[in-house]
Amino acid sequence: MRKLTVFLAAIFAFAVAANAQGIAVGATMEDFSLAGTDGKTHSLNSLKGEKGAVVMFLSAQCPVVKGYIERINAVAADYKSKGITFIGINSNATEDFAWVKSDGDQNFKFPMLIDKGNKLADKLGATVTPEAYYVDAKNTLLYHGAIDNDRSGKAITDQYLRAAFDQSLAGQKVVNTRKNAFGCTIKKAGAQ
Amino acid sequence: MSKLFVVLVKAALCAVFALLLIEPLSAQGMPKAAKGTSPKAAAASPKVTQIDIDGLKKLLEPSGKPLLINFWATWCDPCREEFPDLVKLDGEYKGRVDFITVSLDDLEDIGTLVPKFLREVKAEMPAYLLKTPDESAAITMVAKDWSGNLPLTVLYDAAGQAAYTRPGKFKYETLKEEIEKSLSPKK
Repeated sequence: MRKLTVFLAAIFAFAVAANAQGIAVGATMEDFSLAGTDGKTHSLNSLKGEKGAVVMFLSAQCPVVKGYIERINAVAADYKSKGITFIGINSNATEDFAWVKSDGDQNFKFPMLIDKGNKLADKLGATVTPEAYYVDAKNTLLYHGAIDNDRSGKAITDQYLRAAFDQSLAGQKVVNTRKNAFGCTIKKAGAQ
Repeated sequence: MSKLFVVLVKAALCAVFALLLIEPLSAQGMPKAAKGTSPKAAAASPKVTQIDIDGLKKLLEPSGKPLLINFWATWCDPCREEFPDLVKLDGEYKGRVDFITVSLDDLEDIGTLVPKFLREVKAEMPAYLLKTPDESAAITMVAKDWSGNLPLTVLYDAAGQAAYTRPGKFKYETLKEEIEKSLSPKK
């Protein structure tokens, strides 16, 4: 009986830890549906391209995101024709619908979905903006993290996201699967 | 007589003008403390030191005292909002806990925006600016579960073990409680 209790406690602890860390590279991202700033509901599977999609956590007020607008649109445009689409997600409780819609309409050339109550952010473990999750056609997470290695855009030496696209499209294994960069905290609902 | 009066007036005006000119020049050339300001006021112009990942690693080495490190940037609203509380705690625990701040601003802001803000909030703790081509390695070195979201505050005990990690804005009372715990002898 004692062994069973220890085993169940271990399973529970593992489940809590796994949940706290979000989705791991190599795991399958479950399909999700969220309301878009266009007034329609969209799912990951309906927006995904032939070769996959990028779920990109963004913010209307984060200066780091603002600094990346051109680069995000450029990479999204470059890979749209190659079958990879971009999906913007706004999980910030401090940014209302009108603000997010205005930001999405003015700055990004792909759908912007609203993650009310930051449920998707919590499920995936997203905490920072900008933060990218790149899944292939089967929703397997191939890369998670930063777009490149220089916020200012003046001295980029590693294009993490582009490299992940190129490697997977070429049928190769993605070399850097997880790279972090400094950014803005996602302002979650009820955060203490 | 009248000519002598005019000459004397001119000389007096020249002297006044010279004094007005000399004062700002000497102010620029002299250290602020030498002008009669207190050492505390002189320290109000903080020096921000550039570090790389090795420099950050050295900062995290145990010094025999608890260490509180705050990662921030001038572009980060919650970072700016919590900073006055950080300054307050630094004042309260001076000599007992080491406080340092690490800015993630652009390198070009090291002599402008960063010290300007630190001066405004009267920050006196050692200030650094991290510049590395591999931020990911720096982030993982500080906290394995950290994705780089700012601000981040980490309190290390005297042995260099992370005793409290707070991503996002900290609460003054909670952080103070954690600092007190780090100063209490372990039972």
